[in-house]
Amino acid sequence: MLRGDFLKSLPEPRGILRSVQIRGRDYLERFGLPSGKSEPWRITDLERLKTLLSRPFFLSRDENESNLIRSMAVPPSDGVRLVLSPSLQSIDDQKLPKEFRQITGADLERLLSSNIPNSASDKDWAIGLNQATAGTVLALRVKGCNPPPLELVAEAQLDRFSPSRVVLVLDSNTQLDLLEVILGKGCSAQSHFLEIHLAEGASLNHGLIALGGGEAGLLANVIVHQKRDSSYSLSMIQEGWSLGRIEPDICQGDGHAHTTLRGLQVSKGTRQVATHSKISFQGPEGTLDQLHKALVADKSHSIFNGAVEVPQIAQRTNAVQLSRNLLLSNNARVDTKPELEIIADDVRCSHGATVSELQKEELFYMRSRGVDTRQATKLLLQGYFQDILRSLPVEAERWSVLERLLESVGD
Amino acid sequence: MTTQNALNELVGKPYKYGFVTEIETDKISKGLNEDIVRLISSKKEEPAFLLDFRLRAYKKWLQMEEPKWADLGFPQLSYQDIVYYSAPKQNEKKQSLDEVDPKLLETFDKLGIPLSEQKRLTNVAVDAVFDSVSIATTYKEKLAEHGVVFCSISEAVLQYPELVQRYIGSVVPSNDNFFAALNSAVFSDGSFVFIPKGVDCPMELSSYFRINSGDVGQFERTLIIAEENSSVSYLEGCTAPMFDTKTLHAAVVEIIALDKASVKYSTVQNWYSGDEKGVGGVYNFVTKRGHCRGYKSKISWSQVETGSAITWKYPSCVLQGDDSVGEFYSVALTNNKQKADTGTKMIHVGKRTRSTIVSKGISAGQSSNSYRGLVQMTKSAKDSRNYSQCDSMLIGDKASANTYPYIRSQQPRSSIEHEASTCRISEEQLFYLQSRGIGFEEAISIMVSGFCREVFNQLPMEFAAEADKLLALKLEGSVG
Repeated sequence: MLRGDFLKSLPEPRGILRSVQIRGRDYLERFGLPSGKSEPWRITDLERLKTLLSRPFFLSRDENESNLIRSMAVPPSDGVRLVLSPSLQSIDDQKLPKEFRQITGADLERLLSSNIPNSASDKDWAIGLNQATAGTVLALRVKGCNPPPLELVAEAQLDRFSPSRVVLVLDSNTQLDLLEVILGKGCSAQSHFLEIHLAEGASLNHGLIALGGGEAGLLANVIVHQKRDSSYSLSMIQEGWSLGRIEPDICQGDGHAHTTLRGLQVSKGTRQVATHSKISFQGPEGTLDQLHKALVADKSHSIFNGAVEVPQIAQRTNAVQLSRNLLLSNNARVDTKPELEIIADDVRCSHGATVSELQKEELFYMRSRGVDTRQATKLLLQGYFQDILRSLPVEAERWSVLERLLESVGD
Repeated sequence: MTTQNALNELVGKPYKYGFVTEIETDKISKGLNEDIVRLISSKKEEPAFLLDFRLRAYKKWLQMEEPKWADLGFPQLSYQDIVYYSAPKQNEKKQSLDEVDPKLLETFDKLGIPLSEQKRLTNVAVDAVFDSVSIATTYKEKLAEHGVVFCSISEAVLQYPELVQRYIGSVVPSNDNFFAALNSAVFSDGSFVFIPKGVDCPMELSSYFRINSGDVGQFERTLIIAEENSSVSYLEGCTAPMFDTKTLHAAVVEIIALDKASVKYSTVQNWYSGDEKGVGGVYNFVTKRGHCRGYKSKISWSQVETGSAITWKYPSCVLQGDDSVGEFYSVALTNNKQKADTGTKMIHVGKRTRSTIVSKGISAGQSSNSYRGLVQMTKSAKDSRNYSQCDSMLIGDKASANTYPYIRSQQPRSSIEHEASTCRISEEQLFYLQSRGIGFEEAISIMVSGFCREVFNQLPMEFAAEADKLLALKLEGSVG
């Protein structure tokens, strides 16, 4: 069971999220911890999840950027950087470029009332946790032809539990580059929930860089609602979490939309990282192009679960999913499970999965040309990572992700 | 006729094995308790070890819960409403086939499984099981010349108790799962095959299972042991009459392959699948597992699953011996309201083990057809390989095709490859064939047959043709 003192340690529900918080807490109280018997949580290390919830709740922080964020990457030159904080109440609209507006009042309440986790299932348990804990929300509406790139940074507080919640609405025919960076450290625990609404013809290029460290833990949910002719591209990088779990859940409401998912997760030590993606086609002629990569070393455990739903209405769907895993150690473990549920008959759906170590032929090829094993391995890994990294928004350059990843697996 | 209608008609042909044989049977009363388990055991005059085995399984079963995870949506089964033993009345053990009730022989004749001497299939030995007991096993003497034992498991228990005691439950433990535990407690008959060292079984072995009574559950148990350097090919077939009630079939099959032994196990499953509204039919909940215990041993499963209201089975291979090989070839066809959740598990333990999975699912009507499989590389499975391919064909837009391949690896020096695709009968291909004067039904049949070719190629000759026909028959009226 979920420790009663976790729920008690939370501050009183208040503000715009009050009713959401009450509902979320009811859900947690009723449901407790997810069950190791249910499919979405079967192989998750539930002991670690309990540990995350034992971190003291974080209340307030100085809203300025921390030195860590500054030291990791300079702010974007022509974009907007917003730092998410549990105590963030509102941003001065004046500070935002004209294409961005905060959503408030009834509009916001309407948006917040969707996505209630099904109380009979622990499938969306992580969303329930976020709803119970998040006290503030950053809600932005973006419109216009050329909005500057947006960067959101959620930095954990040392050894604390901190939730963050974001709602982003893209009006029709708007194109945006969004870079989200989640930083963990020490024994921090984070619950992050991003909800995206893409109107007709909108296009979002979304980079999600989640870099942990120490014993940090992360539960992140991304829910995307796509309207007709919209296009959504997500590139996720996940590294360094003691327990990391990202759950993108995409729904193409009217079909005729495009989704691209790229994922890279790197695990070392005794870490456990997971991606549970789900895409549901609720209309015809949607497309999906998904590639998920995992590099698993030491005694770590990597999990990928990719659900694709093609109901009767989703005729002429074209979905491709591929899961490629590099297993580098005798003591590491990979679990990968594509899940395809197809009813429409005029569709093209394929999926594939591979698990292996680095190709010996490739290493041999380079060594025979005078490149030593260490260097050759590095080059191969670089190629392996670049496949995903190059689809990140351009602004991600400043975070030198490749260097960080190579450094983390280097020794 | 529109394509839709023609296809629907094509899939909807009646089940021709749905007749009931009027025959006097020796049935015990409905329900399950310890006394029933003891009664079954005493009817079969079993030695004490087997009664112990049954009672242990029964106690474990009582503590287990009916599994729900596959989401097959069947109502809670009433285990007290099933007759656990039913046998055609025979005054005493028959010495020869001539003494067997002609009605029984006629039944098997009708099913295309002739048991009488002059009509026997050449080079195929058949063990025919009717409800709970084995009626006859053909070619026993000829097989005995080679040292091959092929008989019903009840006979084996009496004649080769040491073999049965040694191997039964060693592959599928009695507490393995809910239905395996139930089977272990109440199993009535099944086949027993023992191939001694160095013998290649001179003919195909085959078992034919027939459920006749509507309230009888069939719990057969098959045990196949292939000693060093031996080989055997075994085939099972199944049918049942049409009843409005659901019938339970919970079988357990255990295969043991020692050094360099090879076992090929083929199934053509055509239990009654219920009518188009989903009334009646057989629940086919089966545990099949093989242990490749020896060096370079091989177990190959091939199956054609066309019947049953619900099929729930995962024929598996545990590849323990170094260089052992596991194979799984499957065609699963579902129509109307049928549900199939089938696939395989390949557990790689030994070094340099290899496995191949080819699964073809065809869903028509409002059926649901799932491939669910596990490929696991344990830490010790160095330099092992797996290749899996799962293809689904959808006929009509109300059927569902699901794929759930579970992949787990703990060995970097092994490799796993999995690929899957979904397709349908395309208008262009249909048009192409029809424009060349091939009739609609035949065209569909050709395409389905082509889709399944890789699997049919693995079936023994006699049955490949039968499987082809069976699919064509099953599809009648479905395609749209």
